[in-house]
Amino acid sequence: MAAALFATVCLIAACGLVYELVAGALASYLLGDSVTQFSTVIGVYLASMGIGSWLSRYLTRGLAARFVSIELLVAVVGGWSSTLLFLAFAYTESFRVALYAIVAIIGMLVGLEVPLLMRLLRERFTFKDVVANVLTFDYLGALIASILFPLVLVPKLGLVRAALGFGIVNAVVALWSTWLFRGVLGAPRALRIACGVVLVTLVGGFVAGDKLMAAAERGLYADDVIFARTTPYQRIVLTVWKDDLRLYLNNHLQFSSRDEYRYHEALVHPGLAALPAARRVLILGGGDGLALREVLRYPGVASATLVDLDGEMTKLFTTHHDLAALNRRSFSDPRVTVVNADAFSWLDAHDDTFDFVVVDFPDPSNYAVGKLYTTAFYRLLKRHLARGGRIVVQSTSPLFARASFWCIDRTLRDAGFATSPYHLYVPSFGEWGFVLAGVDPYVAPTTLPGGLRFLSLAQLGPMFDFPLDMRAVAVEPNRLNDQVLVRYYEKEFEQINR
Amino acid sequence: MSDAQSVSRRAFVAASAAALVGLTHKGERGVRGGFVEDGGAAGHRLRDNASLGPVRERRRLPLVIVGGGMAGLSAAWWCEKHGFRDYLLLESGDEAGGNARAGRNDVSGYPWGAHYVPVPGKQAMLARVLFEDLGVLRNGVWDERTLCHSPQERLFWRGEWHEGFEPMLNDSAADRAEFRRFQDRLDGLRSSGEFTIPVSRGRPARSALDALTLAQWLDREGFRSRALRWYADYAVRDDYGTAARDASAWAGLHYFVAREPDEKGPLTWPEGNGWIVKRLLERIGTRVRTGATVRAVSRPHGGRVVVVRTEDAEFTADACIWAAPIFVAARVIDGFGASPPLTTAPWLVANLTLREWPDERGSAPAWDNTIVDSPGLGYVNATHQRLSRPGGPTVWTYYHALVQQTPLEARRALRAMSWRDASEFVLSDLERAHPTLRRVVERVDIRRYAHAMARPEPGFLSAPWRSALAASRGPIWYGHADLSGLSVFEEAQDQGVRAARRALAHIGRG
Ligand SMILES: Cc1cc2nc3c(=O)[nH]c(=O)nc-3n(C[C@H](O)[C@H](O)[C@H](O)COP(=O)(O)OP(=O)(O)OC[C@H]3O[C@@H](n4cnc5c(N)ncnc54)[C@H](O)[C@@H]3O)c2cc1C
Repeated sequence: MAAALFATVCLIAACGLVYELVAGALASYLLGDSVTQFSTVIGVYLASMGIGSWLSRYLTRGLAARFVSIELLVAVVGGWSSTLLFLAFAYTESFRVALYAIVAIIGMLVGLEVPLLMRLLRERFTFKDVVANVLTFDYLGALIASILFPLVLVPKLGLVRAALGFGIVNAVVALWSTWLFRGVLGAPRALRIACGVVLVTLVGGFVAGDKLMAAAERGLYADDVIFARTTPYQRIVLTVWKDDLRLYLNNHLQFSSRDEYRYHEALVHPGLAALPAARRVLILGGGDGLALREVLRYPGVASATLVDLDGEMTKLFTTHHDLAALNRRSFSDPRVTVVNADAFSWLDAHDDTFDFVVVDFPDPSNYAVGKLYTTAFYRLLKRHLARGGRIVVQSTSPLFARASFWCIDRTLRDAGFATSPYHLYVPSFGEWGFVLAGVDPYVAPTTLPGGLRFLSLAQLGPMFDFPLDMRAVAVEPNRLNDQVLVRYYEKEFEQINR
Repeated sequence: MSDAQSVSRRAFVAASAAALVGLTHKGERGVRGGFVEDGGAAGHRLRDNASLGPVRERRRLPLVIVGGGMAGLSAAWWCEKHGFRDYLLLESGDEAGGNARAGRNDVSGYPWGAHYVPVPGKQAMLARVLFEDLGVLRNGVWDERTLCHSPQERLFWRGEWHEGFEPMLNDSAADRAEFRRFQDRLDGLRSSGEFTIPVSRGRPARSALDALTLAQWLDREGFRSRALRWYADYAVRDDYGTAARDASAWAGLHYFVAREPDEKGPLTWPEGNGWIVKRLLERIGTRVRTGATVRAVSRPHGGRVVVVRTEDAEFTADACIWAAPIFVAARVIDGFGASPPLTTAPWLVANLTLREWPDERGSAPAWDNTIVDSPGLGYVNATHQRLSRPGGPTVWTYYHALVQQTPLEARRALRAMSWRDASEFVLSDLERAHPTLRRVVERVDIRRYAHAMARPEPGFLSAPWRSALAASRGPIWYGHADLSGLSVFEEAQDQGVRAARRALAHIGRG
């Protein structure tokens, strides 16, 4: 009997600590800065426990029934805490309010538990034994929880199910207490039914934990998330709404299947169609295989090499049914070689030459990516260009990031290229720009491959004309030792987001 | 891998960090490392005047260069450049390079001392000639890959990293005003033409600014901003291993105004100036002998030849270039006279090998990373100049000039330090900016410099012993950074080449 009672103490202590750790870890995960998150969560939790203990003096009658009800409340609030917090983050603006409210409620309830239990036990044991044993098992429970949490719970169950699992433990303790205290309980039947209901819902949630997580993630994006994966380099998320498939990398939209053809036709054909003798093509970035799809339209292209950092990306776009359909299974074409490597080091370590190079990197939003837009990089690229060859560079928006766009153009010119910048409208991106660069001046193509949906010869001319609000501005070139582009881009991005 | 798993894996990382907060667990998973050879043993044998072994080799040759630091290597480079190969360079270390030596492990090459050269301006002609030789300067254009990549420097201040020192220097209106006034003062000094690099190109002798310490000058000029004072002190600790309260104001201001780079720099390599050492050694070939400590130098026959004695060999030469530190010259060169009144700065350099980049807050990792109000000088990242995306293991070189005590006391403390004490000092300093450092550090290797460089104290510019040594008429010529008083690459090179020019002229090969 005594053992059962003290095991109860141990379990409820463990449950309380787990909820606290769940809240802290979740806040760190979603908001970053783990030290701040953990200290504030622990602070609020402990203070609330104090309030709970203080409030316990107002509970005078029916202590056992009160204890069981509190246990059940802890089970419900604690068990669902991480689910609620994920949903609050995804669907509301007030994650922090929810966070501290939940932590405070659990803290108060847990703060009530121990004094009540001590008072219940006072009738069975001497006071000094009660204090000694309750506190011992309380701390022991905390120790067990704090070890289990990082080593077992989080890696094996995840935060949603870890909380639900301990909610189940709390509910079981409640049910079990109706037997432990059956002598002093008035109407155990009603309480037992309540315990049963709570248990069933928690077990249900535990079983469906994965789905709950997915629902939370869906809330972050407007559409249904059909795929999400974190690779060593980025977070890949695919969403679908009706026939619109969208790819996000680190929450930045990469393409929408509704209009990506505009982007990719404009990226590849003005350059490649003007090189009828092109046989060897290199694509840097572009792990979605969509630029590759356009390149493979040319029967004269004998080999296409695609260098993308992220093996998960190219694998996904090779094997995923809908995605492979979108790039017309271009990765399975025998002419294609995929290399998963850093483009800068790969170019530095090889000396193959190419007739046409597509440079399709993410926007230069940080110094690491910004290196791939420097004079040093373009000079290296020039060494890989066959005579008469040409490169095309995705160059952000000449409208929203005007200085950035013209900085890329200037950088290419400083690296010794003759450039021909152009632009087009992509509904999901807005006005977008590319720069064609070669040693010799550019001559527009006279034919285009069949089957295009956007680009026509008549359309080409206007693309190379820039309206007044997108015309060239005076900018510095982007260099390894002075990455001005990242600063331009950061500033322009800030202005859009204001 | 399902989605839920990947999320929980990330949460696991956060949670383990958290568990740390709850359990104050200091998980130092067996950091390895040790002290690397610091030349102390050879130095002490010199000082204690241990008896010499028997001579196993005797050679007669036109020129001997003593010391294979940047100065000695530059002297040899000059000889090679002029087609003169009939010399021998004697270096006491098991590798040449001196303060510009480098190390290497599986992760990267890394410096043990000098790690950059400011982009030489138009007046630093010799440095430009060298870099043209090495292919770093071509048709007036600096090699972009060798210029330090963005972001060059950042400062850990108020709990997070900031790009550059400007945010701190411009913090309050008062700070900003002082910083602007400071820059105006520097502009004024710059146009005086008194500050040149190398120093020998100018005529600064007896500058009034050499009569004060940098701290006294700051007081006199009414600079009180804490940020600015810290910055000025940091600059002289970093360059000269000397605090603002001890360094000559002229030397301190020289750091700020002497260079007029035509490009954003500095020049740097993963192994620091060890890269230059390696390239020079390729040219020098077999004419360098390492592990050869010069124990005695004498000038018999009325000074017509120089006899240079190592542990087991004796070289008789028509000329000798002394490119080792001057305090050593006083012990080794017969008839040198009393040791000149110069003090030297003790330094500690640690190379930390990291499994991955530790946690941090604020701006992106830079090449040079400084922690404000730290006893150390921060660290440089050896993999910063890589072209590929940052990430993975790296090596940090941590610098510490021991200016808190007198050089003598600091040297004693340095010698008494165990490796564990030293690495604990380094880790706890860096931990302030990187709380999870101990979990990613694999090795901490440490080099102690008892006498890293001469300290430019007030009066150093006009010290008579310096001009006397510089005016030597042979057959020993002195060429070491100590001769200039400012221990930087350009000075070492200038001194080495000046000595080489004179020695070559003396033996009729110049
Ligand atoms: C930690 C540290 C960091 C530095 N960082 C920079 C930097 O980033 N940029 C910069 O420009 N400068 C830096 N310096 C300054 C550096 O000292 C100079 O740039 C330059 O390398 C000095 O060269 P030196 O040849 O004059 O002297 P040293 O490097 O001292 O060379 C003297 C050589 O003589 C040898 N020697 C001594 N006694 C004997 C003997 N009896 N027989 C034979 N050989 C002997 C020594 O082993 C040594 O190799 C740094 C210095 C230190 C200590």
